[in-house]
Amino acid sequence: MRNSPRRRGLLSVAMTGIVIFLNAPIILMVMNSFQTTEDILARQSLWPESLTAINYSRLIADTPFLIYLKNSLITAAGSTVFAVFAAVLAGYALARFRGSLLTGYARMLLAVQMFPIILALIPLFLLFRPLGLIDNPLSVILVYGVANLPFATWMARGYFETIPRELEEAALIDGCSHYGAFFRVVLPLSGPGLAAVSIFAFLLSYNEYFVANVFLRSRDAMTLPVGIQMFMQQFSTDWGGLMAAATLMMTPTLILFLFIQKFIVHGAVSGAVKG
Amino acid sequence: MSSRQQTAVTGIAWRERARQFTRPEIVTPTVLLIPSLCLIAFLILYPIVQGFWYSLTDGSLLRPGRFVALGNYVELMTNPSFWHSVRFSIVFAVCNIVGCYLLGLGLALLMQMDMPFRGLFRVLLLLPWIVPSVVAIVSWRWMVADQSALFNQIIKAFGGSPIYFLSDSTWAVVVVIGIKIWRSFPFMMLSLLAALQTIDRSLYEAAEIDGANRWQSFWHITLPDIRNISVILCLLMTIWSVNDFDTPWLLAQGGPANATENLVVLAYRYTFARNDVGTGAAVSFITLFILMALFTFVLRLQREDRNA
Amino acid sequence: MQLFRLGLAWGAAASAMTISLAAANAAPTVLNFWDMNWGDTAYVDAAKALVDEFNKSHADVQVSYRSVPWSNWYETYVTAIASGSAPDISTGAGFQAVQFYGFGEILPVDDVVDAIGADAFSKGTLEAVKWDGHYVALPWMVDIRAIFYRKDLLAAAGINPPTTWDEFRAAAKKLSNGSTYGVVASGDSGGSHWVPTFMISNGAGMFDKERNAAVTSERSMEALDFIGSLVADGSVNPSSAGYSSDDARGSFQRNEAAFILSGPNLPELVGATGAQTAVLPPLKGPHGDLGTVNWVNNIMIYKQSKHPTEAKDFLRWWSDNQLALWTKGNANGIPARAEYQKDPYFQGREHVADIIKNYLPVAQPMSATAGGTFPAMNEVDGDGFLRTLIQKIWQGQSVADAAREAQAHLEELLKK
Repeated sequence: MRNSPRRRGLLSVAMTGIVIFLNAPIILMVMNSFQTTEDILARQSLWPESLTAINYSRLIADTPFLIYLKNSLITAAGSTVFAVFAAVLAGYALARFRGSLLTGYARMLLAVQMFPIILALIPLFLLFRPLGLIDNPLSVILVYGVANLPFATWMARGYFETIPRELEEAALIDGCSHYGAFFRVVLPLSGPGLAAVSIFAFLLSYNEYFVANVFLRSRDAMTLPVGIQMFMQQFSTDWGGLMAAATLMMTPTLILFLFIQKFIVHGAVSGAVKG
Repeated sequence: MSSRQQTAVTGIAWRERARQFTRPEIVTPTVLLIPSLCLIAFLILYPIVQGFWYSLTDGSLLRPGRFVALGNYVELMTNPSFWHSVRFSIVFAVCNIVGCYLLGLGLALLMQMDMPFRGLFRVLLLLPWIVPSVVAIVSWRWMVADQSALFNQIIKAFGGSPIYFLSDSTWAVVVVIGIKIWRSFPFMMLSLLAALQTIDRSLYEAAEIDGANRWQSFWHITLPDIRNISVILCLLMTIWSVNDFDTPWLLAQGGPANATENLVVLAYRYTFARNDVGTGAAVSFITLFILMALFTFVLRLQREDRNA
Repeated sequence: MQLFRLGLAWGAAASAMTISLAAANAAPTVLNFWDMNWGDTAYVDAAKALVDEFNKSHADVQVSYRSVPWSNWYETYVTAIASGSAPDISTGAGFQAVQFYGFGEILPVDDVVDAIGADAFSKGTLEAVKWDGHYVALPWMVDIRAIFYRKDLLAAAGINPPTTWDEFRAAAKKLSNGSTYGVVASGDSGGSHWVPTFMISNGAGMFDKERNAAVTSERSMEALDFIGSLVADGSVNPSSAGYSSDDARGSFQRNEAAFILSGPNLPELVGATGAQTAVLPPLKGPHGDLGTVNWVNNIMIYKQSKHPTEAKDFLRWWSDNQLALWTKGNANGIPARAEYQKDPYFQGREHVADIIKNYLPVAQPMSATAGGTFPAMNEVDGDGFLRTLIQKIWQGQSVADAAREAQAHLEELLKK
C-alpha cells in the first residue's frame, strides 16, 4: 500500500519516536558510559554536561575485561561451530525427507528446547569433573552447542525449504548421491542462510550467563556476562565502569547483526514457527 | 507351500525389508542426524536420567545421599516457597506473553506500512533482544535503583513520591516483568512480521471492495491467518519465560524477600546455596513436566481445531 | 571426516595435558592459595605483593595467588571441592573451615598453632576455630560490626551520641526527615548482620545451649522487634531492602543517613565524609547487656592438597608476616595476632582504637550461644534466609511472621 509522501513522513517521525523510546535504556547506558561515576550520581538533568572516555581506558587497563572478552569470543565461536554443523545436517534432513525417525526427532527437539538447563548442570558438572573440564571453555562450548541446537535446526530447516527442490532433483538425475546433492548443490546456495544461523547461535552463546557462571569460575576462564555481573556486585557504585563494560560488551554482536539483518525476516523464523 | 518354499519366501521378505531400510531415503537422513543425536544423547539424555536419579536422593554436591524415593517431591508439595515460585512463574510467563505479543503485533503491523528507513527501524527495534541480559539489567537497574534514580526523578517531576522499586516486593515483580517484556518483544515482532507477510494481499483487496473497514479486515483476515503461528510463538515464549534464570537472578537474586524467585531460581538456590541437589533436581523436573503437559495440551487443542 | 578430525583434536588435547603434567613435576612445588577480597583493590595488591615476597625468598615453593570474589562464595568453594579442583590453602567465610572439616575435606592445623604459640592469638580467636578437639584453621583476622555515626549531623541536630537502644532509636527518629534518614542499611549479607548484632547485644543469639534454633526466643525477638521499630518510626531508608552494602555506603557518603552498621574501616570507605564519621560505643540493651557480632576469619588447608607440609609452612610464614595486609592493604578487620593490634596503624586511628578497646571484648560469633562453632553454621551463614529475614524487616513487614519463618527455616537447616 503506497502512502502519500506526507503520510510516509509522519510514519517515519512516529517510528523514530517509538524506536528512541523503546531503546531509551540502551541509549542512556551508552551516554552514561562517557561520564565519570561522580557526574552520573550528581547529575540533575538528563543531558550530560561533560564527556570523558576515562571509564573505557580504566576498563581496559585495570580490569580483566579483555580476558573476559577473549573467553567469550572463544566459547561463542566454538559452540557455534558445533551447533551449526549439527543443525545444518539435521535441518536438511528435516527439510527434505520424511519418516517416523524424523518426526520423532522433531518432537524431541521441542523437548530439548523445553529442558530447563539447570537440570543438566549438576550431572554434567559431575561428569565433567573427572575429565578436567571445569574452568575449561570446552565444557561451556559443548553445553551451548546442544542448547542452541533446536533453534538453529529450525532456522536451518526454514532456509533449506526455501531452496527449490528442482536443483537437487536435477543433480540426483545426473547420478549424484544425496550427500553429493547436498554438499555440491544446496550448501553453496545457502550461504546467507547459514550465516544467519551462525550469527544467531553466536549471539545466544555470547550472551549466555547461567551456564558460564557455573562452569567457568576462575578469573582467567570467565566470560563477559559473568565478569560484568561481578562488577555489578562488587563495585556497584562504579556506574561509569559498569556502563562502559556493558556498552563494549554488546558492540560485537550489534555489528554482526547489522550485517545479517536482511536475511533474518524471510527464512529464519518461519522454520522455527513451523514447530 | 513346502517348508523350503516358505523359508525362501520369508528370506525374500526379509531381504526386501532390509533393502527398504537401507534405501538412501532412510539412511541419508539418519546419517545426517547422527551429530545432533550424539550431542543430545551425551548432554541432554544422560543428564535427564542422572537428574531424575538425583531427585530421588537427598544428596549434596559433595556427598551422594540416601535414596528417598519420592520424598523430595512430597516435601515440595507442602513447601510454601515452592508454591510461591510456581505462582510467580505463572504470573511472569502470562504477563510476559500478553505484553510482548501486543507490543510485538502492534509494531509488526506498523512495520508493514510503507515508510522511509523502514529497514533501519526494524534493526534498531531488535536491540533489546540482542543486548545480553547482564547489559539489560545493568541499564534498567540504574534507572530504578533508589530515590534519586531516573524513574523516580520523572515521578518527582510529575509531583509524586519516590517508588522503591527494588526494595518493594510488588514493584520488584513489576520491574522484572517489564524487563522481560522489553527483551522479548523484538523476537515476537520479527516472527509476526514474517507471518503477516505471508498473508495474501488479494484477500484485503477483496474485503475492501466488499466495503469492509480497516478494523474488520484486521479482525477477520489478519488475526485468523496468524492464529496458528501466534499459538506456537506464545508457547515458545512460555518456555523461555518459565526457564528464565538470568532476569530475576541478575536483578535481585530472586529478592527482595524472595518476591521474584521463579522455579529455576528456586532450583538454583536449593542446589548451590543450600547444598541440596535432590530437591533442586526435583524442582527442575516438576518444571519440565509442567511445560510438557502444557505443550501437549495446546497441541492437542490445535489438532482438534484443525480436524473440526 | 568430521568425526576423524574431532578424534584427532581430542587426542591432541589429551597429550598436551599429559605433557604439561609431566613438566609440572619437574618444577618447584606450586601451592594454590585462594584468598577472599578483604578490602578493595588495595588489599588484592598488598596480598599479591606479600605472595611475591614469599616466592622470592623460597625457591622451592612457589605460591599462586587467586583473589576470589565474595559473590556466590559458597558455590565457588563447594563446586571446586566437588570437582576435585580445590586449592591447597584458602581463606573463606567464618565457618567455612568447620563445615568442610565436617565433610572430611580440611586438614587440622594443630601443629601450626603449637609452632606459633597459642598465646600469640587474641582472646577468643582460637576457641572459634576449635572443633572436634582440633584447630580446623588458623585465625588471622576478626571481622566485627560496629555502629558508625556522622558527628556533624548529630551536632547540627543537637543530639549526643546515643549509648543505649532507646537513645539510638530516638536519635535515629529525630534525624529522619523524608529525604535523609537516621539509618541506611542493605538487603544483602551485610544488611543481615543487623540481626546477630542486636541479638548478641541483648545477650541472646540465634541458637540456644542445645544448639536448637532460637530466633523466636524472648530476647531474640526483642532484638528483632527493636529493628522493626526503627523501620516503623520511619528512621530507615526505604531503599535498604534492595540495596547492596556498596549502595548503602554510597548513600551514607551522599549525606543521606546518620548511622550505619559496618566493619572497622568504614570511615576510610566513604570518601570525604570519613573525617566526620566516628564510632558509637556498644549500645546497651534493655537488660543492660553489651555485645556485637564478630567472625574469626581463618585460613584453612584442604585435604585434597598434594603438598600439605609446604602448605603449612606457607601458612606459618603468612601468619608471621601479614601485617602488610592491613598497613598497605587496608584489610577491613582487626588482626587475630595480639601483637599486630598494638601497631600504630590501628591504635593511631581513633575509631579502630575504640573498636579494639570497647567492641572486641564484648564481641561474639553467631555460634557463641550454642557453645562454639559447628559445621552447620556455614550453611546458616551462606544460605540466605537471614537475608530474607532482614529484607522483610526493612520492607516493614510483620516482624513476628518473618521471625517465625526464619525460625522454621533454621530448624530445617539444623535437622540436616
